[in-house]
Amino acid sequence: MTATEVDAAAPGSGRGRSSRAPRGGRGAAGKVMRRRQARLGWLFASPALLVVAVVMIFPIVFSVIMSLSNVDVTASGFHLSGTTGANYSTVFNAPRWRHALYFTLVYTVCTVIVEMVLGTLVALVLERLKGGRGWMMALLLLPWAMITVISAELWGYIYNGVYGVLNAALHPLVGHDVNVLGTSLEATVAMAVADIWKTTPFVAIIVLAGLVMLPSDVIEAARIDGANAWTIFWRVRLPLLRPVLAIAVMFRILQAFGLFDLPFVLTNGGPGTSTESLAVLGWRVMFNDLKFGPGAAVATSTTALVLIGCLIFLRVFRSQVDEGEAGI
Amino acid sequence: MSGPSGPSRRRQGWRRWVNGTNLAALLVALFVALPLYWLVITSFKSTPEVGTAHLFPHSPTGANYSNAFSQYHFATYIENSVVVAVITTVLVLGLGTFAGYALGRLPVRGKTGVMIVLLMISLFPTVALAAPLYLLMRDIGWLNSYQGLILAYTALTLPFAIWILRNYFLSIPKEMEEVAWVDGASPVRTVVSVILPQALPGLFTAGVFTFVAAWTEFLIALTLNNSDRYRTIPVGIALFGGQYVTPYGTIFAASTVAILPIAILVLIFRRAVVSGLTAGAVKG
Repeated sequence: MTATEVDAAAPGSGRGRSSRAPRGGRGAAGKVMRRRQARLGWLFASPALLVVAVVMIFPIVFSVIMSLSNVDVTASGFHLSGTTGANYSTVFNAPRWRHALYFTLVYTVCTVIVEMVLGTLVALVLERLKGGRGWMMALLLLPWAMITVISAELWGYIYNGVYGVLNAALHPLVGHDVNVLGTSLEATVAMAVADIWKTTPFVAIIVLAGLVMLPSDVIEAARIDGANAWTIFWRVRLPLLRPVLAIAVMFRILQAFGLFDLPFVLTNGGPGTSTESLAVLGWRVMFNDLKFGPGAAVATSTTALVLIGCLIFLRVFRSQVDEGEAGI
Repeated sequence: MSGPSGPSRRRQGWRRWVNGTNLAALLVALFVALPLYWLVITSFKSTPEVGTAHLFPHSPTGANYSNAFSQYHFATYIENSVVVAVITTVLVLGLGTFAGYALGRLPVRGKTGVMIVLLMISLFPTVALAAPLYLLMRDIGWLNSYQGLILAYTALTLPFAIWILRNYFLSIPKEMEEVAWVDGASPVRTVVSVILPQALPGLFTAGVFTFVAAWTEFLIALTLNNSDRYRTIPVGIALFGGQYVTPYGTIFAASTVAILPIAILVLIFRRAVVSGLTAGAVKG
């Protein structure tokens, strides 16, 4: 809907088309007008860009510098001295960091795959749904808009090994109390379920929008050629959906890689440090141990991994993403 | 559609509703709704009943709600969240409208690059910002304040808001704006009285997204505002209770109150939210 409008308007946006110049103004007058508008553009954009630069770009740069320095934090302030790779070597050699990296990677890959598959299935169901689609959409938006801390508390209560509802359901079957947050594998799966509950609706809504926008004539043609629904899905609709799916995957990977709220509240990184993500580890090193140098190294390397992941992804899926980003 | 009028019709109607699609939809709805049901129902259970798996409270009570406000400072957390989220949303819409207009409509050189940089930094893991922002705010004395968190949230949410607004501005026909220019309206006036009214849906979308982001954010709020006076709702709820006992009844009463405004907001602006989600995804 909106996206198609945007698509329609996009081609001309490449570089402020010359048709922008007002009717009377040709030649020199038009040029002056354009220059004035360009100046105006920077004037309009600069307050917002300034805020973003000061509060986001500067701290990121500062974080990189901090990760390469010896940082002394005292009650009165902080002090950077020297240039050193020690923070990174400390971090990269620590088994705890390696485990956090491994956990974050495995968790990201697994949850994103499950969420994409489930989300696509839900979108297909929603697309076929005759009545009540509006209500379903409204319901699906609730987990998305939920405060993650609250969903973490909620799932923590559901999983509670003594009075959780999951235990109440499983206890009669296995004959003893079930505390899924007690062992590392089960805790990881339990956390993934909480994540899937909150995020699959987001994927479903995006995929549904993609499904609705598919050109119906192509699908109609396939149907006339005698393709059944199964073939149409795998051979026609899925390939056409790829740009949307690719971008949903990228969004999800980036979000999952910054995973913080859920492990921080639901498992507290435990049992032990088995569900400690890179973000939780970085935050704890900085704010529990007050080791800002190594903490910044964790945060910076995580950001670098995200960037590298993005670039690889963009390269692999370039053709698909290009199509989706034609409006840039 | 047509109501069930005769016995045969009714059976037909019944048949029409029980099929694979609807059953699957029902399953999805249950998977989404049951945890929410559990949250709300537990908030009405008495403390001993919270320790049971009763499917509905046998003796419903509002004690958890009064506890959240009397024993814990939940009213303060709500106040903090409202102040921060509302001011952030207003600031982001104000700054984002002009930036989105400039980057969408005006012949600004390098705007493609600016948009890509905005997109990229909006995807950075927030934890990378935590330490430098903490040290920065500590230096200027803005830890445990409204302005520190508002500034951080404004910057965090601006990139995505600019993207949404820019996409809307691109979709508005250029003629009216050109007429305004030719008629000699000032640039600010052109934006405010010609462009803005047409971009209203985009403003709703960007506004809802910004508000939701500010209302739900946890990491930066935990880092910058940890004193009881300036905690926002997520931080307050995460730090509810002591080390050994988790007062789930109170937590869920507070949670229900915290979710309600955002649930209403999202349901009212459902279309805006969906179009924002899809614009974000479809347009990258």
